[in-house]
Amino acid sequence: MKEETLLKVDSLRMYFNIAGKGLFGRSSAAIKAIDDVSFDISRGETLGLVGESGSGKTTVGRAILRALKPTGGKVLFNIGDRVTDVTELSGKDLFSFRRHMQLIFQDPYSSLNPRMTVRDIIAEPLECQKYGTRDEIDARVREVAERCKLNVEHLRRFPHAFSGGQRQRICIARALVASPEFIVCDESVSALDVSIQAEVINLLQDLQAELGLTYLFIAHDLSVVAQISHRVAVMYVGRLMEFAPTESLFFAPQHPYTKALLSAVPSVHPDHEFAPVPLDGEIPNPAAVPSGCRFRTRCPIAQDKCASEEPEWREIDQDHFVACHYAGAANATA
Amino acid sequence: MRKPQTQTRPSDTEMEPLVEIEDLRVSFRTDEGLITPVDGVSFSVPRGKTLGIVGESGSGKSVSTKALMKLLPQTAIIDPGSRMRFTRKAGGVVDIARLGAGTREMRDIRGGDIAMIFQEPMASFSPVWTIGNQMIEAIRLHRAVGKAKAREIAIDMLERVGISNPDMRVDQYPHEMSGGMRQRCMIALALSTNPSLLIADEPTTALDVTIQAQILDLMNDIQSELDMSIIFITHDMGVIAHVADEVAVMYLGRIVERGPTAEVIHNPKHPYTKGLLAALPDLDHIDRRLVPVGGDIPGPMNRPAGCAFHPRCDQFTSGLCDAAIPHYTDTGDGREVSCFLVGQDEGAR
Repeated sequence: MKEETLLKVDSLRMYFNIAGKGLFGRSSAAIKAIDDVSFDISRGETLGLVGESGSGKTTVGRAILRALKPTGGKVLFNIGDRVTDVTELSGKDLFSFRRHMQLIFQDPYSSLNPRMTVRDIIAEPLECQKYGTRDEIDARVREVAERCKLNVEHLRRFPHAFSGGQRQRICIARALVASPEFIVCDESVSALDVSIQAEVINLLQDLQAELGLTYLFIAHDLSVVAQISHRVAVMYVGRLMEFAPTESLFFAPQHPYTKALLSAVPSVHPDHEFAPVPLDGEIPNPAAVPSGCRFRTRCPIAQDKCASEEPEWREIDQDHFVACHYAGAANATA
Repeated sequence: MRKPQTQTRPSDTEMEPLVEIEDLRVSFRTDEGLITPVDGVSFSVPRGKTLGIVGESGSGKSVSTKALMKLLPQTAIIDPGSRMRFTRKAGGVVDIARLGAGTREMRDIRGGDIAMIFQEPMASFSPVWTIGNQMIEAIRLHRAVGKAKAREIAIDMLERVGISNPDMRVDQYPHEMSGGMRQRCMIALALSTNPSLLIADEPTTALDVTIQAQILDLMNDIQSELDMSIIFITHDMGVIAHVADEVAVMYLGRIVERGPTAEVIHNPKHPYTKGLLAALPDLDHIDRRLVPVGGDIPGPMNRPAGCAFHPRCDQFTSGLCDAAIPHYTDTGDGREVSCFLVGQDEGAR
C-alpha cells in the first residue's frame, strides 16, 4: 500500500439476508447492499460518494467504520506505520482502533442527547478512550470547541438552546475531539439551511487544511459534493459506476448514469437549459439486481450486450474509472 | 360567524388574480407567549401561473399557505386585518380569512378548489387503505359522481401522472410503491378534484434528483393542460429557477423581495437574496470558496426589531435598519423589495 494512502477498500461486500429461515432451514435471498466495491482514499483527501437513495452509499460508510460487519472484502487502514484490516478486528482491538475514525450524522437534532450538556457530549469520546483527568479532558474540549467556532461560554448549556448550524458544529467538535484521522460525513450538511450549510462546509474544509483530516463525504446533493470533494465515486445499486477526480467527473462524465444525474440538477442560472436525461422508472430493488450491467434497465443507450455481460471496471482516462461497455463511445450518441 | 362576502364579477375574472393575499398575519399562542411566524405577508397568484416561495426554516412559508387552506392548529390566530381573497371555481370571490375552518364552504374549497401536496408522500397517505380507496373518497366528496365513475376518474388520473398499469395500481397500498410513485399518486389525488390552485409544499425535497426532474416535468405538463395556478414552496433556488414565473423570498415571516424569477435570481436586490445565492454551491465554480450568510437564523421568540435581517446583514445601518421595518419599494421591473438600501424611502414606518 502506498504511503499516502490512508484507506483502501478492497472488494467490499455487505449482504443482508431477507428470507429468514425457510421451512427446511435454508435461507437464500439476500439484499446485496454493497456488491464488490473497491476504492482508496489518500491522506488529507475528501472522497465524495454520491448515488440515489438505495444505492448503498450509507452502508459503505457504516461498513468501513465497522458499525456493520462486512460479508466480504477488506478495509485496510494505513495508520501508525501499520496496515490494519478493520474487518478482522474484534473486541478490545476494534474498540481501541475506533478512535482513528469518526462519523458525523445528517440530523443535528436527533444525534445529540438532549439530557447531556454540550461539554459532556463533546467529552464523551475522550471518556470512552480514557484520555486523562477531568481537567485534561476539559482543556481538550475547550480547544476543540474553539476550533469549531463554538462559544466556550456556552459549553454548560443543553443542545436545545442551539440552532441547527450550531448543533452541527457541536457534532463536528465531538467527532474531532479524539483526534481521528478519518471521518465519515454522512449527509452532514443536507439538513441545514443554505445560509448555514455554506458555513459548515467552509468549517469542514478549514479543519481539513489545519489538521490533515481525511473525509468520506456521502451526500445526494451533487453541487455540495463537487464543492468539497477532491475525487468523487458514483454508486448505483451496490456498485461503483464511475470514479474520477472531481473536475473530470463533473465536466467530462463518461457513464450514462453520471450524465443523467448531472443533467437532473436544476441550476440557478436560468440561461442554463434544464434538459434532464429521462431515466425510465426508478432504482431497482437490490434484492433483484438486473443481469449484466445493473443500470441497463434505465439506461438510454443500453444494447443487448448490456444484459448479458457485466461491464468491466476500466481506466478510461488518467485516474478516471468507469464501468460501462459504451463509455467513451457514448459521447457520440448521448 | 359573519357571512362571507361574495361578489360576482364575471367580466373581469380573467384580469383578477386567482388568489390575493393582503397583509396576512398569523400568530400562535405558545407557553412562552405569542409568536408571529407570519407578519404582514402580501402576494397574489395569477391564473395559470406559478408563484415560488423560497425561504429557510422559520421563514413562515408553510404557515402562510396553511393559513390559506385553514389548516392551522387551534392555537393559531389569524389577524382580523388579514385578507385572503380567493376566486371560486363556480365564480364569486370569498375572503378565506373570514371563513371558519369547519364551515361547509371552507370544506368545499379545501380539496375542491385548492389542493395541496406535501414533502413526505408516505406520511400523506393512510397506510391501511388502498390508493384507489383514498382517491375515490376525495373525488366523491367534491364531485357528484357514483363509486364506479369515481374509480374511473381515479384510474384516469393515475394514468395521467405516468403510473403504469393504473388499473392494477389503483388497488395497491402506499407501501407497495416507491417514493417517486407515491409522489405521483399524491399529485393524482390532489388533481382528481380539478382544483384551480395547487399548493406544493416542498414536493420534491425528499426525492432523488432524477425523480425530482420527472416530477417537475409532470407538474409543468399538468399545469398547462389544466390551466391551474401553483404555489410552489421550496428552499432550493435551483428548483425555483425552473418552475416559477414569479418568486417571493421570505425571511422570518415577511417577504423581503418579490418579482419575476429571472430578475430576482440574476439581479437580486435584497441583501438576504444576494446572500442566499452566494451561499449556494455552484457546479460551474467548484473552486470558489462559499460565502456564508453570517450568524444564525433567530428563533421565533427573539425576532430582531426593525428589519428582521439586520443582525446578519453586512450593509446594516445603525439607527435605521434596527429601528423600523422598511417599506416595499417598487423597483420598476415588477419587483418589490423591502430594504432601506433600495430606492431610499424616507417615509419609513
